[in-house]
This record gives sequence, structure tokens and C-alpha cells, in this order.
Amino acid sequence: MNNLITIFLSMALINNFILAKFLGLCPFFGVSKKLSNALSMGVAVTLVMFIATVATWLINHYILIPFDVQYMSIVIYILVIASLVQIVEMAIKRTNLTLYNALGIYLPLITTNCAVLGITLINATEAYSLLESVVCSLGGGIGFTLVLIIMSGIRERLELADSPMSMKGLPVALLTAMLLGLTFFGFGGMI
Amino acid sequence: MKTTSFWKEFTKGIVISNPLFVLVLGLCPALAVSTSVDNALGMSIGVTFVLLGSNIIISAIRKIIPNMVRIPIFIVIIATFVTIVNLVFHAYVPSLYESLGIYLPLIVVNCIILGRAEAFASKNPLLHSIADALGISIGFMLALLIISFLRETLGTGSLSIFGARLFTLPILGEHPMAIFVLPPGAFLLMGLLLALLRRLGVIKSE
Amino acid sequence: MKTTLKKIFPVIFVTVIVFMAVALLSWTNSITKDKIEFQEEQQIQSMLGEMFPDMSRYAFEDDIYTIYSDEAQLGYAFLALGKGYGGSINILVGLENETTIKGISIISQSETPGLGARIGGSSFVGEFTGLSIDDVALKQDGGQIDAITGATISSGAVVDAVKATAVERVKSLQEKE
Repeated sequence: MNNLITIFLSMALINNFILAKFLGLCPFFGVSKKLSNALSMGVAVTLVMFIATVATWLINHYILIPFDVQYMSIVIYILVIASLVQIVEMAIKRTNLTLYNALGIYLPLITTNCAVLGITLINATEAYSLLESVVCSLGGGIGFTLVLIIMSGIRERLELADSPMSMKGLPVALLTAMLLGLTFFGFGGMI
Repeated sequence: MKTTSFWKEFTKGIVISNPLFVLVLGLCPALAVSTSVDNALGMSIGVTFVLLGSNIIISAIRKIIPNMVRIPIFIVIIATFVTIVNLVFHAYVPSLYESLGIYLPLIVVNCIILGRAEAFASKNPLLHSIADALGISIGFMLALLIISFLRETLGTGSLSIFGARLFTLPILGEHPMAIFVLPPGAFLLMGLLLALLRRLGVIKSE
Repeated sequence: MKTTLKKIFPVIFVTVIVFMAVALLSWTNSITKDKIEFQEEQQIQSMLGEMFPDMSRYAFEDDIYTIYSDEAQLGYAFLALGKGYGGSINILVGLENETTIKGISIISQSETPGLGARIGGSSFVGEFTGLSIDDVALKQDGGQIDAITGATISSGAVVDAVKATAVERVKSLQEKE
């Protein structure tokens, strides 16, 4: 149990996907301009990360390792993620149209989101058990969502601020990310 | 005529549409592995190989790829080249393989590569696609080298390439500004570099 | 006829591409596989050599490296896997005999730079040298090891992994005798 809590906190706060591992930066800077979009994107990414983790864990342990073809893992993982995103997109469209309208445009983007492939690779290299992998993916997803929401709150105000011409937009967002990263560094001492 | 356009495709990737500073693609590997010049070089070589390989193959078969399944095919081709890079690095430069970690396989989802496949190689002849791949790769490498050079020298106070110590700065060598090799330092440096390049007019402001 | 061909062509095309990718990869794998194993072996060998300077050869059986200098047996070594903050910590542990630790070294880790990553430093690793396996525990838990300030989890992960694996390996050594 202790071990699971450590994994969760480590993934969510200390080794935060965005601030410490630089995974999922494209949606981070692209989508974090509005609070509502940030929440939808975060939820969508967490959902796909969770499903992808379970799927790739099963594939890894019941196909790749028994047949000793782990060198194929990159190709297989990315194909699994791409098809999962398609399936999730279709499933949401059929069952819940409001949710689809909220998440719809972000789903195709998730295939090329490094956070999703990242979590499956992390779980494989760390040789986590299924439960540990799931906790790891949820921690990563929640940490991702958290930072996305904080960032969008800051950026909504930043838009109104009078920053120098050459700093507008991305540069000032990067500097904000630096300050957030430094803040999250404080969690490193949390034990 | 033909050589001028080859040259044009080649040079545009270096400055006018530099993948990192202008298009701001592939930020994730760029910030993650720019802690040392070694890592930056390794990453650039990996990206160059994958981009060149996938651009060549995709451009060569662009006329017979069924439009409906083109994205999955691009992904399979890219993932194959990335796996080759992984295996080769693991076998011949194990220390580099270790320090690049998961960022080496993550080349698969580097937006630069899928972006060039979709926007350029699938529409243009072979020779131009090669020029495009080389130009973009060199642009990526230059940008990555600038960032990693600054991060390594400021963050550790010295610079070494493949184990050979090139120089140690006088005061910084003893009291390095460690923040630059830590993740927040990457954001700081990238933000300042982008702002500086905009101020100098090298790239356009928003 | 023509329309069915048009419909199944994408499927055939994808199959052909995937087949070619698999063929190319298994060929690359067959070339690099031995080299990768050789590299990993070499890394272990050089680390064992640092730990046991008089080593002339070693044998590997049941997860335990037995170290020899000519015919005399110098000790044992084994790999331990700790779970730290940043992920797994790979540790090589050397045993002088069945109760005493010869030394440990961190093979790979991804702990926070400046905090947990200091487990790789000689001051922390050195604490294990010459310690009895029973004493391998953090001072707060009644052992002999000082945890690194601000990195109790990382320190604890190393200690736990070394102790648990050492107990297990010593047990299997004793069973064999």
C-alpha cells in the first residue's frame, strides 16, 4: 500500500509529467489558454492513459514477453494507442453526445501526445505490476490535469497583462511553466 | 532549376521554418534531453535518421498509399525506424541509450516527424523530401545544440563532449547554477531564447 | 471485381507494410541482440572488478555472481532492484561472506537531481561497506545507515532493496551447501 502511495505521489507531483518529464507539452501550451478546455483535455488524456496502460500491460505480459519479441514493443504500443483512441472516440460519440462535443476535438490529438506513449514505456521499463501500472497512470494523468488547470488559470489572466511584444504568448508561458516547476520542486522534500 | 529548389527546401528548415524555434514542434524531447551536449547530439542523430528514413520511404510510395489508411501507415513506418535507432543505440552506444531513456522511443510521437510526413513527404518527390528532411534535421540539431550548450555550461560550469572535458569556467565551475540542468531551467532558457530571437527579429512575434 | 479490389486494397497494403516492418525489425534485432548482451555483461564485469580488485574470474548461477581470484573464493555479488521516487534503482551488491557486505554500487537510477540522486554519491554508498547484513537499515529504524537529508524515500528504497535481496540470496546460498 505504501509503495502504491509513493508511486502515485511521485507521478502526480514530484515527477510531474509536464513540469519534470516534459511529456505532453504540445497540448499543454496549445490548450491551456482556457480553463474549460484544459479540464476536458486533462480528463481525456487521463482516460486514454488509463486504458492504454491496461491494454499494453496485458499485451506486454501475455504476448511480448512469452514470445521474446520485446523489441517490437514501440511499434505495437503506438498502434494500440492509435486504435484505442479511435475506439474511445466512437464509444463516447455513441453513448454521450455532450461529452463527445466537449472532448471531441482533443481525442485525435491524443494519439501523438507523448504522455500516453510515455506512460506505457515507463510502466514497461519499471517492470511494474498491473496494479502499480494503473496507479502510476492515474497519478500521471491527475498530475497532468492539475498542472493544465493551474496553467490555464494563470494564462487567462496573463492574456490581459501588458507583457513586452517579444515575450507575448509562448515565451511568457514558458517562463510561467518555469515558476510552476520550481514550486512543484518543493514537493521533492515531501516524504 | 532543380538544384535551386533542392537548396530552397534544404535551407528553409534551418532558419525560416526552424522546427524548434519557429514552428515550436518537438518541444518535449528538446527540453528533456538538452541537459548535456552529448545527449543533444545523440537525440539529433536519432531524429535525423528517423526523419530521413521515413521521408524517403513515404515519398517513394506516396502515389500508392491509400488515402484512408495513410496515417496508420506513416506511424508504422516511423515506429519501425525508431525501433532500429533504439536497437542500434542500445548495442553500440549503451551509455547514450541509458541517458536518453524513454525519450529515444518517444521520437515516434515527435510532432516534427509525423508533421513532415503528412505535410511534405506524402506530396513531394523523393529528392525534395530528402532535402526537406536534412534541412529540418539540421535546424533541429542546431537549436538543440544551442540550448544544451547553454544548459550544460551554465548548469555545471564546464563542458565535456563524449567524456573529453573541453573547458571549465572560472567561477561557475565551482559554483554552478544547477537550476539550468534541472527541468525548470529548460523552461526558463527556452522562454528567454524565444523572446530574444523575436526581439532580434530572427523570428516573427505573434 | 474492380470495386472489391478497390475495397480490400488498403487492407492488403497495410498488411504488406506491417509484414515488411516486422521482417526489417527482426533482422535488425538478430544483428544487435548479441552485441547488447555482450555490452551488459561487460558493464557488470567492470563493476565487479571495481568492487573486488583481485578478481580474476566470476561465475553466474541462480542470480548470484561468485567471485574468484584464481582458485580462492573472494565473495558473492547480486543485483537488487529498489523502487524510488523517480522509478527503479538498479543496485549491484557485493558480499564478502554470508554475513558481511563488501560494498554496493548504483548501476542506474532516475531520482530527483540534487536530492534523491545523491544516493549515487560515494558518501552514501560508502556507508554500506563492511556492514553486517543485519545492520542494513536506516538509523531511524534501528540500523546503521544515515538517510540523505530530504531524500528519505530514495535512501530507504536502496536500503530495503539491499537488505531484502541479501537475505534472500544468502538463504539460497546456505540451502545449496
